[in-house]
Amino acid sequence: MLTLLLSLAAAAADTTAAPRPVPQDGPAVVVHRQPALPVAALRLSLLADDPTGYAGAGHFFQHLALPALEEQAGRVGARVQAVRTSDAVVYSIVGPADELEYMAGVLRSALRAPASPSGTDMLSALRHLAEERAAERETAPSYVRAALRARVFPNDLPAAGTDEAAARLESADLAALWGRMYAPGRVSVVAVGDVQADAVRRAFRSLPGGGAAGDGEAGIDTVPSLAADTPQATRGWVARAYPAPDADPAALSVAARLLRANLRRRMTRSAVEVEHWWTHHGQALALVVATPDSLMPAARRTVGGALEAVGADVSPQSVADAARAVRRDMLFYSRTPERMAEIVGGFADRGDDPEAAQRYFARLEEVTEDEVRAVLELLAAQEPVVVEVPAQRIRRENRR
Amino acid sequence: VSGARTVSNRAMRALAIVFFSLLPILAMERRAEAQDRIVVRPEPGTPVVAVEVLVAAGSADEPADQAGVAYLTARAVTDPIAAVLDSLGARLAIAAHKDAVSLTLTAAPDAWEEATRALLAALFRDPVDSAAVVRQRRAIVRELEAREASPADALAGEVEKAVFGAEHPWGRPAVGTAETVARLRARQVDEFLRGSFTPERSIVAVVGPVEREEAFDVLRPALGFDTLRVTEADPPVPAESPVRRNYDAITTWVSASWHFTGDADVEALRMLSRLALQRVSFGPSRRSVYNSRGELLRHAAGGELRLHLVVPPREAEQWADALRQAVAGYAEEALSAQIFAERLRRYRGERLLELDLPETRARELARGVLLGGRGESLTGLDGLTPQRLHDAARALEAPIIVFLGPSVEEET
Repeated sequence: MLTLLLSLAAAAADTTAAPRPVPQDGPAVVVHRQPALPVAALRLSLLADDPTGYAGAGHFFQHLALPALEEQAGRVGARVQAVRTSDAVVYSIVGPADELEYMAGVLRSALRAPASPSGTDMLSALRHLAEERAAERETAPSYVRAALRARVFPNDLPAAGTDEAAARLESADLAALWGRMYAPGRVSVVAVGDVQADAVRRAFRSLPGGGAAGDGEAGIDTVPSLAADTPQATRGWVARAYPAPDADPAALSVAARLLRANLRRRMTRSAVEVEHWWTHHGQALALVVATPDSLMPAARRTVGGALEAVGADVSPQSVADAARAVRRDMLFYSRTPERMAEIVGGFADRGDDPEAAQRYFARLEEVTEDEVRAVLELLAAQEPVVVEVPAQRIRRENRR
Repeated sequence: VSGARTVSNRAMRALAIVFFSLLPILAMERRAEAQDRIVVRPEPGTPVVAVEVLVAAGSADEPADQAGVAYLTARAVTDPIAAVLDSLGARLAIAAHKDAVSLTLTAAPDAWEEATRALLAALFRDPVDSAAVVRQRRAIVRELEAREASPADALAGEVEKAVFGAEHPWGRPAVGTAETVARLRARQVDEFLRGSFTPERSIVAVVGPVEREEAFDVLRPALGFDTLRVTEADPPVPAESPVRRNYDAITTWVSASWHFTGDADVEALRMLSRLALQRVSFGPSRRSVYNSRGELLRHAAGGELRLHLVVPPREAEQWADALRQAVAGYAEEALSAQIFAERLRRYRGERLLELDLPETRARELARGVLLGGRGESLTGLDGLTPQRLHDAARALEAPIIVFLGPSVEEET
């Protein structure tokens, strides 16, 4: 779950026009009360896609807004963050619980249509986006994930957008563009900490109105080929992703944990990650292995046969242990109000109901050996997406 | 022979604990004292349980040539339970302080009891495993060698010597040095374990979705009913003039350390350290400050408010004056009510955010008990006033200044 959360936090924007469940009557509010500590985390999600032709717009608006939000939050010693996930434009703030109204005001201000930003602010936001775009292709770990994601979820464009879209953003009517993304009914709020549900609802009752949507599409977002930008790496990277749109999420999480344990046991000289990707675009299971150059052929074989190997090894006890480990990771990760809000909000952003996180947590304990086998068979029936980065080889004469 | 004696002594201790636990009426008066060493903070909404075991064994308990034995003991004695904790999904972090060793356990609510029992048995019942000593000694030496080039560590070492005196136990690094740790033997670890890692030297704080009685049921049998035993350290012998140490770097570290006594207004001093640090941190008019840090360190006899800056070598003296002035400014005049309210609002939020992890809250509570508190509250934020801040600043005497950098004497 932690891996899942982290991978999603680093992941991307969406520009798909796929229908998404959107609340109609003001923001959906979920409150998880933790009365013992006078700290509260508020997480506000705008369930919105970047307008076609403006990939990265959501994250661009976040970079424009963030300096002012940080300054406001700092006055009460609070901390604010802006993250663009595959599902939503997310702002979160954590600070004293009795500053609820003030902190809510900080988040509400992020929803106002951007006034004409200064040249400096524009340059700064565009520079941040450019750096993030470059970073995604710069090192092997982020590159292989981006390359897998681009093929498993083709509608899920990078959060930082594209060079062409960034050029369009420079001269776009930002208020109109924001109007195409923002509507009060697209907002959902999660609050965790020593706060009352009524107080949270009151604090978010009046959101800024949606602006004129504007019209017209600027063009099509085309992501530059990742194959042309293969990074240099000191180890070889072998990555596979299996789309699993219809898999039971809890069983898929447990299968991912079993695969990770199996591969780590067998690949002691390699770094192994197995991740459950879960967004409103669908689900997938990704295997990412970094290995010494000399072990690349063996790594390909081991990764290629991983589903079968785990299937032969699975037992009621191993499933129970893996499920328990996923649950404990979830508990550990959510031990601050901020992270608890992130977990609960992640479910809400995919369009699930307020109890979805709790239901998933409970469901993990019920996952059976048969369900895991069914997931493994489902994955094995898919054609995996394969991405590899060879280890950089230095010519003998250049070695010192 | 040594191992047999250890087992025997430990078995006796365990029997004694069982015996006392069977005599609740006789032990009633002492039970109240024992409860002072156990602090439970029930937090129904917190998803994990954090258990802080603070063993009041530190540098003052170590022979000078065995610096670091307390830390090695904690690492070695918990090494054999690593697999058990792992299977329970529990995490253990160990840190050495001058006056105590901190063992922080974090576990899921369904596993904390078993994990805690395993930890307490390792600390107070099981004999030390010599193979574990060798493994952990090697690991610590490697870690210390890797840190030898760290200027932050070098500064901390010089500041401790300047504040407490080179010969004072607290003038030594709490984790020892690569040299002293490499010389430690299993026999010395065993002796330290039996002499200093005892229930009566231990404080336990539990934070999480746990009822008080439930926690006491787990902890009482292992902790017994004795009052807290702490080794008193000798009075420090601080440097009387600024300390200058050459260090091969392109920047200079400047540190100012203000001593405060045991009756000081700690929360006001903590706020003061934050405000003073803002006056000397990087900003449009302070572009040459590369880094800055403030800390408030407490021990039984009081503590220190410390501010550290990293600046160009030629400006080191100027920034030492700025550090002195940053604190002295608050001693000259109390802040107006409005400005104080603004500063307090910010400070309060930052202070609460420091406590957002359950293990941090458990550490704070245990530490509070070690320093004579009752573990009732996490902060002293209530009732802070401009006058309290002013009084706290006025009560501070001149700081001890330490410079660490390239040819400081010539440059300055």
